[in-house]
Amino acid sequence: MTAQQKISVMINGTMHEAHVEPRTTLADFLRGELALTGTHVGCEHGVCGACTVLLEGRAVRSCLTLAVQVDGASLTTVEGLEEDGKLHPIQQAFVEEHGLQCGFCTPGFLMTVHELLYENPDPSEDEIREALGGQICRCTGYQSILRSVRLAAAKLRNAHVAGSTQHS
Amino acid sequence: MSVQIPKTLEDFPNSAPRWVGRGVPRVEDPHLVTGRTEFIDNVVLPGMLHAAILRSPVAHARIVSIDINEAEKLPGVIAVVTSDDARRWSHPEPTVPEEWGTHCLAGDKVRYVGEPVAAVAAVNRYVAEDAIELIAVDYESLEAVVDPVKAMEPGSPLVIEEKGTNVMLQRVFTWGNVDGAFGDADRVFTEKFRWHRLGANPLETFGVIAQWDPVDESLTLRASVQSATHFGLGRAAVLGLPSNKVRVIAHPHGGSFGGKGGTRGTDVTALLTRKAGGRPVKWIEDRAEYLTGGGGQAWDRHYEVSLAVKNDGRVTGLDVKLLDDMGATGEGFGAISTAKPLASFTGPYAIPVARYDLTIVATNKLPQSPYRGMGPPPHNCVLEQMMDIAARDLDIDPAEFRRTNFIPKDSFPYTIASGNEYDSGDYEAVLDKALALADYGKLRERRDQARAEGRCVGISVVSAIEPGVFDWNAYAIVGVQGTGVPEGATVSIDIMGKISVRVGFALEGQGQYTLATQLVADYFNVGFEDITVVCLDTHSAPPAFGPGGSRLGVALTGAVLGACGKLRLKLAKVAAGLFQMDPEQVDLVDGKLVAKGVAGVEMPMAQVVGTMLARSDLLPPDVDPRPEATHVWTAPGRTEVDEEGRAKSYLTAAQAVHVVMLEVDPETGLVEILEYCVVDDCGTRLNPATVEGQTEGSIAQGVGAALLEEYVYDEQGQILTSSFMDYLLPTVYEVPATKKGIVVTPSPFTPLGAKGCGEGAMHTTPAAILSAINDALAPMGARATEVPASPNRLWTLIRAAQQPAAGE
Repeated sequence: MTAQQKISVMINGTMHEAHVEPRTTLADFLRGELALTGTHVGCEHGVCGACTVLLEGRAVRSCLTLAVQVDGASLTTVEGLEEDGKLHPIQQAFVEEHGLQCGFCTPGFLMTVHELLYENPDPSEDEIREALGGQICRCTGYQSILRSVRLAAAKLRNAHVAGSTQHS
Repeated sequence: MSVQIPKTLEDFPNSAPRWVGRGVPRVEDPHLVTGRTEFIDNVVLPGMLHAAILRSPVAHARIVSIDINEAEKLPGVIAVVTSDDARRWSHPEPTVPEEWGTHCLAGDKVRYVGEPVAAVAAVNRYVAEDAIELIAVDYESLEAVVDPVKAMEPGSPLVIEEKGTNVMLQRVFTWGNVDGAFGDADRVFTEKFRWHRLGANPLETFGVIAQWDPVDESLTLRASVQSATHFGLGRAAVLGLPSNKVRVIAHPHGGSFGGKGGTRGTDVTALLTRKAGGRPVKWIEDRAEYLTGGGGQAWDRHYEVSLAVKNDGRVTGLDVKLLDDMGATGEGFGAISTAKPLASFTGPYAIPVARYDLTIVATNKLPQSPYRGMGPPPHNCVLEQMMDIAARDLDIDPAEFRRTNFIPKDSFPYTIASGNEYDSGDYEAVLDKALALADYGKLRERRDQARAEGRCVGISVVSAIEPGVFDWNAYAIVGVQGTGVPEGATVSIDIMGKISVRVGFALEGQGQYTLATQLVADYFNVGFEDITVVCLDTHSAPPAFGPGGSRLGVALTGAVLGACGKLRLKLAKVAAGLFQMDPEQVDLVDGKLVAKGVAGVEMPMAQVVGTMLARSDLLPPDVDPRPEATHVWTAPGRTEVDEEGRAKSYLTAAQAVHVVMLEVDPETGLVEILEYCVVDDCGTRLNPATVEGQTEGSIAQGVGAALLEEYVYDEQGQILTSSFMDYLLPTVYEVPATKKGIVVTPSPFTPLGAKGCGEGAMHTTPAAILSAINDALAPMGARATEVPASPNRLWTLIRAAQQPAAGE
């Protein structure tokens, strides 16, 4: 049980090298070894989605992923969303639309929404629901989260338009 | 001059308040959306160990032996504890009703699946879990008591032998001439209902770091705890420590809903840190532990309800018989959920007499804990079903039947049969607004048209009361009395003019730090950036209870505004000294201390505070030079409980009307909510955005209760719902979008007229959904009387209704 494996992983743009037991989950590795405690653990069996992180841009459950599985990969966690100390538009949208109460599930929602909106900048209502279908929030009843996602999509589209205008 | 707490926003010393009453962004959120909030599992202390708990795999068995030798030998294991340690260092858990508790680690026998038997502290959680697998426990099976009716029969196996019975409490409360009312009734309706176990399930489970100090024999607990003071007092009692030797540091937590639990696990963790010589020990409950052995199970109820009704539609009597299956002990304080219905027993209706026949029974299941609403949600659900049964029989529209029975708006404050007093309301206005919002006439046309097409569609119009701002007298009938629920806050201004608000409760999700910030910002006419809210530990906080019983918004408002008022008087006195005037001639206005009626004589508040702290030579001789004040708020006018359990308990009574249309698929039993309209009156809305959040979130939990959530035990007492694959929480697919409206009748009894609103729609939604299901089923002559009305149950009902009974 104690034989350790060496892994190298890029997390939020920083390379980390570590020795981990093969049974260590990615969630425990991020939280316990790297002190990236923004990723939360809600059920440890892949249902609630609180522990969602981005693995090469795809949303994965860090409670069902082993740390050794991400050797050589690139990850983004909630700590990687801010840019220059400013909230990411998705984070800002959740604040403005009261898309959270206790905030424990929120990092998982943010990462899931990130995957959705970078693949599909203008999702339909059904596409938003489908993306969020695997995330559980016990506080909000989801309505304010749906409003947050719509606002986040608008913010990102506007930022994109503004960016294009600047470059042209 | 005594401290005046503003009754309205106009009473603030501010000519242009900017914050209170508006849906301002929450001060909590930037930390939460960046993952920086310090939840308990983020905390690491030097030398910290990690705990794992070995739990009983069987419901009822004698423990023949426990062998911990192999576990102790595993490298990395520092301490192992069993019932020997529990008996040496602790007392049985405190309970409601009293003396229905056992030690935190099972000794001679186990009484439910998930009961802690032994525990390990090790260098990490993985090693700790390896170690508990090495503990060998020899069990001798006993017959499990799972059915509460059988549990009451003579000769039933006993959950706690020393008690000589499984009946924890049996009492009949009679309010008025109930037999007379039923004798005089034109019609009497009786029905049985079953509400199955469900519970809180916050996304964050419970967690604690316990650290024993072997020198002064004290214990520090950092925990995701809802009511730190109450929690600390309980732990001191269990661990045999003076109350001032248990220090609780509450951490922000990921929801609670009354069911955070954690008491027993904390006591086990306290034994571990003591056995480990004082090294801190962290225990983070995992989800399986929460579901099978945590604070997440509530309300396991068997009802028989009768309603006395006159032909003109007046309800003249209510008779409720409740058998509640409390589980193995009273340690979860779940029994208080059987007492709270007294605060709103007859709902929003002027039903003059009522009876409550209450029995609480022990079985080999997890002890019940509180959950959002604390007992009335099932009570309201069965009362509303009876209202519909009566209305249907009398052929009166359900909305009009309720209107006939509403407490009239000119009769508040109104004392209900079970003794509580409702503060204010205009129930007809709420009903009318809800019917208009739902376009009720059109809605009925749509239903009738759908029925004509052969679809199974139903509508409900239900109403319920949300009792707000509890006091412990509300639970006196089950043996909780005298603990008190004060709420304190300290408001302090520093030499730079910046303000701190110090409270005794941690963040939980309702936006209470935002509320404190709104109040202080408007009181002193400063910005949000000038204010910080901090949570103190139980050794330094003012007396505090924290969230619970829909109380904190009101209680915190009273505490903060009281402290602001005291500070205002203090600052006026100092400024008067500087102005060489009498204190009565000086007051706080728009953030400045001004001389009344003397133009130009004024000083900014920050300058007065700076003088207090920096220039003692300028202070009047009898001034306390601390620019801070503390106020502890308690609800006014609460009364002792009389011989029939009656008291003025909850201070406020919010009211709501929900109108729901839904469709049942007869082929699958699945329910789809087509329309959901809610209008509620919770008095003044201090932050409408957070109130809306409470409403939407509680509707979701109500949907879960009505349709999905259920803890299932088999006949051996084995739990079958130990993961989120089996215990179904509502997802974005099940929770409907809602149309919402509001009515505001300010409470005459509270600061700013706010009413408790945190439990919200949990009081109404299960009733609304079950009623709509029953309207959908009515044409086929079927009636759903079990909650959750899950697809299997509805499918079975529909099938039975469609197939004529044998022999017909």
